[in-house]
Amino acid sequence: MNLYKYASPAMFYPLAGKMIPWFAIPAALLFAAGLFVGFFIAPTDFQQGDAYRIMFIHVPAAWMGMFLYVLMAVYAGVGWAFNARLSSMMASSLATTGAMFTAISLVTGAFWGKPTWGTWWVWDARMTSTLILLFLYAGFISLQAAIDDPRRADRAGAVLALVGVINVPIIYFSVQWWNTLHQGATVRILGKASITPVMAAPMLLILAACWLYSIAVVLARLRVIILEREQNAARFAEVNA
Amino acid sequence: MNIHWPDLTMGGYGFYVWGSYLFSLVAIVWELVSLRQRKRAVVKEERPAAARPTVLRGSTHETTS
Repeated sequence: MNLYKYASPAMFYPLAGKMIPWFAIPAALLFAAGLFVGFFIAPTDFQQGDAYRIMFIHVPAAWMGMFLYVLMAVYAGVGWAFNARLSSMMASSLATTGAMFTAISLVTGAFWGKPTWGTWWVWDARMTSTLILLFLYAGFISLQAAIDDPRRADRAGAVLALVGVINVPIIYFSVQWWNTLHQGATVRILGKASITPVMAAPMLLILAACWLYSIAVVLARLRVIILEREQNAARFAEVNA
Repeated sequence: MNIHWPDLTMGGYGFYVWGSYLFSLVAIVWELVSLRQRKRAVVKEERPAAARPTVLRGSTHETTS
């Protein structure tokens, strides 16, 4: 089986269409499971009360915003370096979903900040760098929309995405590098989590749902981008798939 | 594992908790609706083009006939 043929947007178009339900349906189920555990099983926090339930959506959204930016920069970079059209299209497709998750993390963070810190917003290092991430996404989307030639738009977007990727470790380590109001990490990849499993479970379930949702939506948008750019070839490949 | 009905007032934090989830839902619905509209626009654009005989369609007929 020659997998390299799927590097062609027209050949990937029908495959993407077949993959979407395999991610969309488990995403919906995991969202439902995460919300059930988060609201019906997880107990009320003794310090923050029920306000802490905002974390079940805030934390996964913040992680997704960062992960998707790195992924977008990698795809944009590969597309630029190897003149791979599908990679550049994938980067364009990732941008909107990444921007949406970053916006969710900022707004839900503000909803959490008001009852716990007493303010909707502070110019804290973590929050400011996350706001810059949203501006980078907006810049990437606007820059691509402003250039008529898709290949030139991809190259310009790739430069912005690669320069902006430096912001991601700044967001992640900001709570360690600076004395910020924002709390440190409660769930760690390495080391023990400082959150009880019954409270971490909904967060991780919703994170998995967000991943699957992102893959489904990004593939769906990728199909639209392929149609916009290579309509005839994509339709031809789908008929012959 | 104890299953309990959530307090809808969220212990006085209802506006903040439900506001967060409502905003997230609106954002996801907005993303899906805008994607659907973008797809419709492409398909709409495609129809008049499909009505015209193109090189691709011509070549398809040649290979199948």
